[in-house]
Amino acid sequence: MSLINHTPAMRRANESRFRTALRGIPRVLGWTSIAVVIFGTLFPFYWMIRTALSNNRAMFSDPLSLLAVDPTLGAIKRVLGLSSTADALAEGGSVGSINFTQFLINSLIVCTLITVFQVMLSSMAAYAFALLKWRGRDTVFAIFLVALLVPGMFTLLPNFLLVRDLGLLDSYLGIALPSMFFSPFVVFFLRQFFLGVNRQFIEAATIDGAGQWRIFSRIALPIVWPQIITISVLQFIFYWNDYLWPLLVAQSDNSTLLTVGLGIFRSQTPQGSPDWAGLMAGSVIAAIPVFILILVFGRRIVGSIQSSGVK
Amino acid sequence: MAKMPLTASQGRTAKGSRRYGQLAPAVLFLLPALVGFLVFFAWPAVRGLYLSFTDYNLLSSPEFIGIKNYQDIVSDTVFWRSMAVTLQYVAINIVFQTVAALFLAVMLHKFTQSMLIRGIVMLPYLIANVVVALVWYWLADYNLGLINSSLDAIGLDRIGFFGDDQWAMITIAMVNVWRHLGYTSLLIFAGLQAIPEDVYEAAAVDGAGAWRAFRSITLPLLRPVLAFVLVITVVGSFQIFDTIAVTTQGGPVDATNAITYYIYSRAFTRFDFGYASALSVILMLILAAIALIQMRVLRAGQSDLER
Amino acid sequence: MKKSLITTTTALAVAVGALAGCSNSNSDTPSSDGAAAAGGVTTISYGLWDSNQLPAYQQCATDFAAANPQYKVDVEQIGWDDYWSKITTGFVSGDNYDVFTSHVAFYPEFQKNGQVLPLDDYIARDNVDMSIYQDGLVNLWKGPDGLQYGLPKDFDTVALFYNAQMTDAAGYTKEDLSKLTWNPEDGGTYEKLIAHLTIDKSGVRGDEAGFDKENVDTYGLWMENAGGADGQTQWTFLTASLGWTQTDGAWATTYNYDDPSFAETIGWWYGLVEKGYMPSFAAQEGVSWADQLIAGKAALVPNGSWMTGYVFGAVSDTFTPGVAATPAGPDGESWSMFNGLADNISVTTKHPDASWEWVKYLGSAACQDVVADAAVVFPAISTSTDKAVAAFEAKGVDVTAFTQHVDNGTTVLYPITDYKSDVNAIMSPAMEAIMSGSAGTDSLKKANEQVNQLFQ
Repeated sequence: MSLINHTPAMRRANESRFRTALRGIPRVLGWTSIAVVIFGTLFPFYWMIRTALSNNRAMFSDPLSLLAVDPTLGAIKRVLGLSSTADALAEGGSVGSINFTQFLINSLIVCTLITVFQVMLSSMAAYAFALLKWRGRDTVFAIFLVALLVPGMFTLLPNFLLVRDLGLLDSYLGIALPSMFFSPFVVFFLRQFFLGVNRQFIEAATIDGAGQWRIFSRIALPIVWPQIITISVLQFIFYWNDYLWPLLVAQSDNSTLLTVGLGIFRSQTPQGSPDWAGLMAGSVIAAIPVFILILVFGRRIVGSIQSSGVK
Repeated sequence: MAKMPLTASQGRTAKGSRRYGQLAPAVLFLLPALVGFLVFFAWPAVRGLYLSFTDYNLLSSPEFIGIKNYQDIVSDTVFWRSMAVTLQYVAINIVFQTVAALFLAVMLHKFTQSMLIRGIVMLPYLIANVVVALVWYWLADYNLGLINSSLDAIGLDRIGFFGDDQWAMITIAMVNVWRHLGYTSLLIFAGLQAIPEDVYEAAAVDGAGAWRAFRSITLPLLRPVLAFVLVITVVGSFQIFDTIAVTTQGGPVDATNAITYYIYSRAFTRFDFGYASALSVILMLILAAIALIQMRVLRAGQSDLER
Repeated sequence: MKKSLITTTTALAVAVGALAGCSNSNSDTPSSDGAAAAGGVTTISYGLWDSNQLPAYQQCATDFAAANPQYKVDVEQIGWDDYWSKITTGFVSGDNYDVFTSHVAFYPEFQKNGQVLPLDDYIARDNVDMSIYQDGLVNLWKGPDGLQYGLPKDFDTVALFYNAQMTDAAGYTKEDLSKLTWNPEDGGTYEKLIAHLTIDKSGVRGDEAGFDKENVDTYGLWMENAGGADGQTQWTFLTASLGWTQTDGAWATTYNYDDPSFAETIGWWYGLVEKGYMPSFAAQEGVSWADQLIAGKAALVPNGSWMTGYVFGAVSDTFTPGVAATPAGPDGESWSMFNGLADNISVTTKHPDASWEWVKYLGSAACQDVVADAAVVFPAISTSTDKAVAAFEAKGVDVTAFTQHVDNGTTVLYPITDYKSDVNAIMSPAMEAIMSGSAGTDSLKKANEQVNQLFQ
C-alpha cells in the first residue's frame, strides 16, 4: 500500500483514518482552546484598527470606547504622506512627513535580498551538517551554534563599524550584508529536517552516481521544501519588523525601512505621547505586505503534506 | 528502478575518501556561510571580547584595564538583580510559550483543516515588536486600559501590570507569549507535518487512543523539533529587549532590567562599552552552557525517524 | 519542476542583488559631502527631535538659504526615543549631523570627549552679542573649561497644568490658583487644593468624611514617574523654595541627595500617595500624564512648557486646559527649574565655517522670531520670548505662569555634571523604590554615597 498521498482522495482517506484514532480527545476542549486563542489574538488587532480610525486628539476623552472615537481617516493619511501639516496638528498627530512608498520599496528589496540569500546559503550549510559525513563535522557545527548564542547587542556596534568602513552605510547592502550569508537559526532549523530525510533515497541516488549538488537540489531540498518555505516566510517577517539595526544604518530616506519610518509616530519629546492613531494605522498598513505573503504561501506552510515514505 | 553499474574512481566512492569523509563537497556547501560567520560573527565577537578588557566610552580610544570589568560585575548588585529577573522572564516565557504552542499546534493539526484559523494564529507575529508592546501598554494601563476596567467591572482589584514591580516582568513575558505563540506553533507544526501518517495508522490499528498516540509517537518523533524550539526559545528569551525598551525601560525599581537591556543601557546610555562587552561575554557563556545541556539532554542531534 | 524553481529563484535573487548594488551607488553620498554639488552650494545637515518644532525650523532653513545662497540646510527630525542613539552612533562612525539640537543632560559627555566644537573664536570674530539672551542661559552651555559650546536657542520652565472644569467645580478661581502656598509639613494650600480635587468613585472629595482612598476616580495630583535624578517636573519647584539644589553649581563633583530638606520634600510627596490623593507608582505607569489629564483621571499635573501645545490642543467636553504657577514655598517665592537648549556643532563636520553660520542664524532673532510665532517653545532671545508670549496669547493660552520665573529670577538651573547618565542610573531606581513604598527616604543617604563615589 503506498503511503505517499499522491492524490487528494488518498489524502482525505488517510486523514479520516487519523481522525478516527483521536476520538478520545474531547472536541470541546479542542475547540474551546482554539476559540480562546482566536479571540485573544484578534482583539488587540481590532483595538489597533479602531485606534487607527480615531481622532488622536479626541481619543483620550473616551479612552475605553470600543468603537473608533470621532472616526477619521486622518491617521491613514498621515501614514501615506497625504496629510498636510495643519491637518496633522489639528488632530494632535505627528507632523513629520513619511515617504511611505519609498520606505515600502526599501523594505521589500532589503527583506527579499536577505531572505533569499540567507535561506539558500543556510540550507546548503544545513545539508553539509546533516547529510554529509566528514571529519570534524560536529565540532564545526557546535562552533556555528555559538553564533546563535552571541547576543545581538554584542555584535551590533562592531558590525556597524565594519559596514561603515566598507562604505555601505545608507545602502541596501549595508543593512542586508550581516544577515545575508547565513543565519544560525535557519541552519539549525533546516538541519533538524534534513536529518529526518529518509537515507534510502540518498543512498539510491548515490548508487546511481549522482554528485552531491544533485542529491542536494534534486532530492534533499524538495523533501524539505515545505520547511524551507516556512522558514523563509518567518525570516522575511523577522527582517520586515527589525528596528534597531536598520535605524542605525539608514542615514536618509534612500534606505530607511518601513518599520523604522513608522518611528516618526512614537514619542517626539520626552514626557510626550506617541501619535497613537498614526502609529496604529502605520503598523496595520505595514503588516499588509507580509500578510499577503502569508496568504500566497499559506497553503504550503500550513497545508498537510507528507514528506517521507518508502517506495 | 534500473541499477547502474558503480563507477569506481581511485579510492573515492560517493561517500568520499576514507580519511576525511565527504570533506570536499562539505567545504563547498559551507563556504558562503563560513565567510558570513567569520566576518559578521566571529570577528565582531573577538573584537567585543577584546573590548571587554578595556574601558571604552565609544567616543575615544579603548583603554586596556585587564579584568577590572569582570571584577566589577561580580560585586554589581544591579547585575545580579538583572540575572534574577532575566531568569524569571525566561522561566515564565518558556513554560507558557512552549507548552501552549505545543498544545496549539497539536490542536490545529488535528481539529481543523482551516487555513484561515492557522493564518489568524500567525497574525501577531506580523506586527513589529515595538508596536505590540505599545498596544498592550495601553490595554493594560491601570487607569485607562480595558483590562483593568474589566477587572473593576467584575469587582476585582486593579493590577499595575507594568507599574507594579511584582507584576511587571510577568506582564512583559505574557506580551511576548502573545506575539510569539503563533510563530512557535508554526515551528512545531512544521515538525508535526514531517511525521509520517503510517506510524499513526499502525498505532490506530493497534488500538492506541489519542493521548497514548501523543505520548508515544508524537512527542518522541517531535523531539528534534521540540529540542530545537526549546533551545531557540530559551536563547531568544534571554535576549528580550524591544518590549522593555518601549514600555518600562528597566523599571520599576529595576524589576524589568533584563540582561540585554542592562547591556544596552550601559553601552549606549552610559557610554560604558567595555563593561557592556564584559556583560555580553558572560551572557554568552551562560547561553552556551544552557544550550549545551539542553542539546545533550534532549539528544537533539538524532532523529528517531532515521530509517 | 523543483529544479527550475530553484534556478529561477537564484536568478531572481542575483538580479535583485545586482539591482540593489546599482541603485544605491549613486545615492549613498553622505549629506555632509566635501566638495559639494553644482554651483558650490554647501549642504549642512541639521538634526532635531521635536516634530512640533519641525515646521518652524524648516522655515528658518529656507530663510537662511535664501539669505545665503551658497548654503543649504537639510533638516532631519528623529523622535526623542531614537535621537540620542543616532547622535552617539554618528560620533562613533565619524559621520554625524553637522549641527544638532543638544540637551544639557547629554552634552557634557560629548564635550568631555571632544566631540563638539567650542564657538568662542567664532563668537569673537563675528562680534556676536551674547547679552540678548535670557539670563543664565549662556552659562548653561559653558563647559568646565570655560569655553562656549552653544548659542542658547530656547528655554523651558515648569508650571501646573490643570483641568479648569474640575477646578471650577471645586470652587477655585484662576486668582486662587495663582496664589497657592506650600510647605513640607502640611502641604499648605497646595495640598488642600489637591485633596479637594481628589474624588473617589462615590463622588466624595479627598477632604470630606467618608473618602475612600482605595477607590479613587480622579486624582488631585498626578505622579509622572518618580523624577529620577532631576525631578525637573516632579519636585524641584518645591525643593528650590527650601533653598535646596541637587548640586552646588555647574560641574560640581558632589550631590546633595542626602540633605534633610530633600528627604522631607520627598516624604511629603509620597505622603500624598498614602492619603490617596496621588496614584501609587504602580498606578501611574502607563499612558502618559497628559493623556491621563485629558481623560479626567487627574486634575492637576506639574510639567514643562514644551507640552503646552499638546495640552491646550486637546479641548473636549470634559476637559478645559488651564495652567497656573507653581506654589510659593516657605520663602514666599514660587520657583521652577530652568532648562535651555542649544545647538552643538559636531567635531565630525567637514564644514565648520558653514555650520557656524547656521548656528549663528539659529541663535539670531531672525530665526528665533519664526520659532516664536509657531508658539511651541520659548525662544532664548528676550525679544523673541515676548513675541512667543504674544503668539500663545493669540491662541488663547496665557503663559505668564511659565514666564514669570524668568522675570522674577525664581529659577534653578538644570544640574550639569559629569557622569550624568550614571547618576540617573542610580537615582531612578532609588526614587522609584521610595515612591513605590518599598524604601523609605533614609535610603537617599546610601544613594547619594553611590552617586558621589562616581566622582572619586
